[in-house]
Amino acid sequence: MYRYDAVDRAVLADRAAEFRDQVRRRLSGELTEDQFKPLRLMNGLYLQLHAYMLRVAVPYGSLDPRQMRALADIARRFDRGYGHFTTRTNIQFNWIRLADAPEILDVLAEADLHAIQTSGNCIRNVTADPYAGAAADELEDPRVWCEAIRQWSSLHPEFSFLPRKFKIAVTASPHDRTAAKVHDIGLLLRRGRDGATGFEVIVGGGMGRTPHVGPTLKAFLPSERLFSYLEAVLRVYNRHGRRDNIYKARIKILVAALGAEAFGREVEAEWEKIGVAGDLPGSEIVRIRDAFTRPELADSPAPGDFEARRAAEPAFARFVRNNLKAHKLSGYTIVDVSLKGVGETPGDISADQMDVVADLAERFGQGEIRSTHEQNLVLPHIRLADVHTVWKALDAARLATPNINLISDIIACPGLDYCALANARAICVAQDIARRFEAPDRAEAIGELKIKISGCINACGHHHVGHIGILGVDKKGEEFYQLTLGGSGAEDASVGKMLGPALPIDRVTDAVEAIVDAYLQQRQDGERFLDTLRRTGDAPFREAVYADAH
Amino acid sequence: MKALTANRLSDGEVVFWKSGAWVERLTDAEVFVAEDSAVTAETSARAQPTLAIDPYLIDLVETEGFWTPVSYRERIRALGPSNHERHGKQADGGDAVEALRHAHGAARSSGRVNLIRRK
Amino acid sequence: MPMLIRLSEGVFSQVQDVFVRLGDDEPVVGGDAIVSLGRLLSGDVARAGGGRLGVWLEPGDEVEALEGRLDQVDLVALAFPKFRDGRAFTSARLLRERLGFTGEVRAVGDVLRDQAGFMVRCGFDAFSPADGSTVEAWAAAASRHRHVYQRAADARAPAFLERGRG
Repeated sequence: MYRYDAVDRAVLADRAAEFRDQVRRRLSGELTEDQFKPLRLMNGLYLQLHAYMLRVAVPYGSLDPRQMRALADIARRFDRGYGHFTTRTNIQFNWIRLADAPEILDVLAEADLHAIQTSGNCIRNVTADPYAGAAADELEDPRVWCEAIRQWSSLHPEFSFLPRKFKIAVTASPHDRTAAKVHDIGLLLRRGRDGATGFEVIVGGGMGRTPHVGPTLKAFLPSERLFSYLEAVLRVYNRHGRRDNIYKARIKILVAALGAEAFGREVEAEWEKIGVAGDLPGSEIVRIRDAFTRPELADSPAPGDFEARRAAEPAFARFVRNNLKAHKLSGYTIVDVSLKGVGETPGDISADQMDVVADLAERFGQGEIRSTHEQNLVLPHIRLADVHTVWKALDAARLATPNINLISDIIACPGLDYCALANARAICVAQDIARRFEAPDRAEAIGELKIKISGCINACGHHHVGHIGILGVDKKGEEFYQLTLGGSGAEDASVGKMLGPALPIDRVTDAVEAIVDAYLQQRQDGERFLDTLRRTGDAPFREAVYADAH
Repeated sequence: MKALTANRLSDGEVVFWKSGAWVERLTDAEVFVAEDSAVTAETSARAQPTLAIDPYLIDLVETEGFWTPVSYRERIRALGPSNHERHGKQADGGDAVEALRHAHGAARSSGRVNLIRRK
Repeated sequence: MPMLIRLSEGVFSQVQDVFVRLGDDEPVVGGDAIVSLGRLLSGDVARAGGGRLGVWLEPGDEVEALEGRLDQVDLVALAFPKFRDGRAFTSARLLRERLGFTGEVRAVGDVLRDQAGFMVRCGFDAFSPADGSTVEAWAAAASRHRHVYQRAADARAPAFLERGRG
């Protein structure tokens, strides 16, 4: 974890005081709702259907136990005992009172947490690989860059009122777990021929109404030139991004309209004018790197009875198969904590569960917790010898569902159950599908299959990059669902294609099952669903879903 | 038939207009028969921007002896989220809540719902 | 005469705005006048009576068009047609940092104190608040944050330099 210094803490305290003043002015009538709305959004405070919702930043998805307990405390004292992890790796509280918001910010600031720029037309929380610092396949820990970007983008005087929101992802692994190619900027850490690091810079990806897989603007940007380059991209966007139409205001539209080449030339010209004056001194990157706590990892600790337990306990073996990932050090593993219990709301976590995760991270996990854009949590540094104990504790808290990357590991936005923008519900659709595929043997036999559900075209549920995407639409006053197939948010990013006419809510799960059955019929040599689909095209699946309609 | 609704400024609570004041239960809300009395109420409500945010009128239909919103979104506002039946106004239970749940055949127990009419 | 908040040598004060904004077909009759960018570029700005000259830029106007003419200009007014339209922040920075303009850079339009800090950092030094802010309220808002993370057009040391000094 990055340790905040006095400067970082003062920024949070000053921002909290500023917001306290803004809330006071609104409650007294000094500010109108039209004036206050952009101000509260800049601090992650939305008005939803039933109450205010506060979106708290989890910067690049990293939390420590103290912070997780602070979130539990907020859930208990100011909310209704639970929170919701989002596809932006943030956490949302659904039942917030405006009058309490300033005090909540103070509680957050005590734990080095905040809600800065979790909404509004500004640079939002950076997405990082949730396995950063632990993954066997990473080049270096990308969180150093994420923290530097967090600081650079926080309360940026020039880039806080952009045409539209702006999201940056950073990954340092060949396997992209951040959906970098559908971010406004995706930064893929690479090593150059001389061994120095740099970034492949992808600009203009996005989802929403017009999904785009972003083009590569620069194949190799030396890492020490990152900040001048970001400034150049943001400046070109701030000046030339559309402001006349909210649906055409994201940078993806500008990049597509100009063409990646012409946009790239604009950026290069601006970058040249900015020069190295726009870069962060190398000494600051070193300072940030040194401010991260290092997990105290032993040299190949003995795995204890891990293998024996795995052989003897099928339920444990199933958890190991699905929820563990390769750690860079032998004797350690990465443990995925599922927030997708069958019948639960995807991403929801109770205050008591937060405390369990905090305790486990503290006792067994080097004090590190991550949130993922797939709405799960991660304990990135667990000794193999401790996995069984951790599993038992997670299982007792209903956090050990062995379904990571399987069909019931579904992304769903809050949808019309909470969200003022939604057209249709998403949660109940996810719950119904998860129940249908509850049998774990069947889910494992189906293998990796990512279902992603959004309750409206804004695509918070990432439906465009779901292997099966489900989009809620309002069709003559009824909840209908549009299916897309073939999306991917990984390194093989693609946007799903619409399968056919939207379906009423009570046909969605049947349709998913028909798609799965068609896949199992077509599958060759243990292909993933996505690979089968890419080989066969969507005709067999369309036939399976819409056969009745002929 | 119409009712006037908004979210309360201080806590975001869903509220309904009743004779110049805001109440929390749809069953307590004033039901407007005449269009102009509804519009008059809306104008009065908009003149109090520190109490409630952006008031608007909703259409009602009768269900099981209660006035219930035509729009599904408005029924969720009057009930609470369908994934947490103990949260929101639905926590009170009672006939009025049941009527809201049954309006236009919303069947909530199985996690599936029938087709819902919205405005 | 309308009031204006000015920032000079780190101090905010209330001053009278002596500039008059002229329409493109209104004659220059003397006194201090603000004209549109188009009019400035067309050269139709003969100064009668030695008044000072200002130019008004809408957010879509590119400040680079002023290159080579800034010596004629005492004031650049950058418009915020809406609070949320952030293009003028970039315009101000470029005026200060790239074009080296040292005259007055004024924020006009939907100008609220909640942006005071950002405006000062981007190089604005005159403000025509739309929210009735007093000088005191404006100064407090502008100096609320004790630290900043970025370099900008003001002289403030960003956090990475403060830290370097230990």
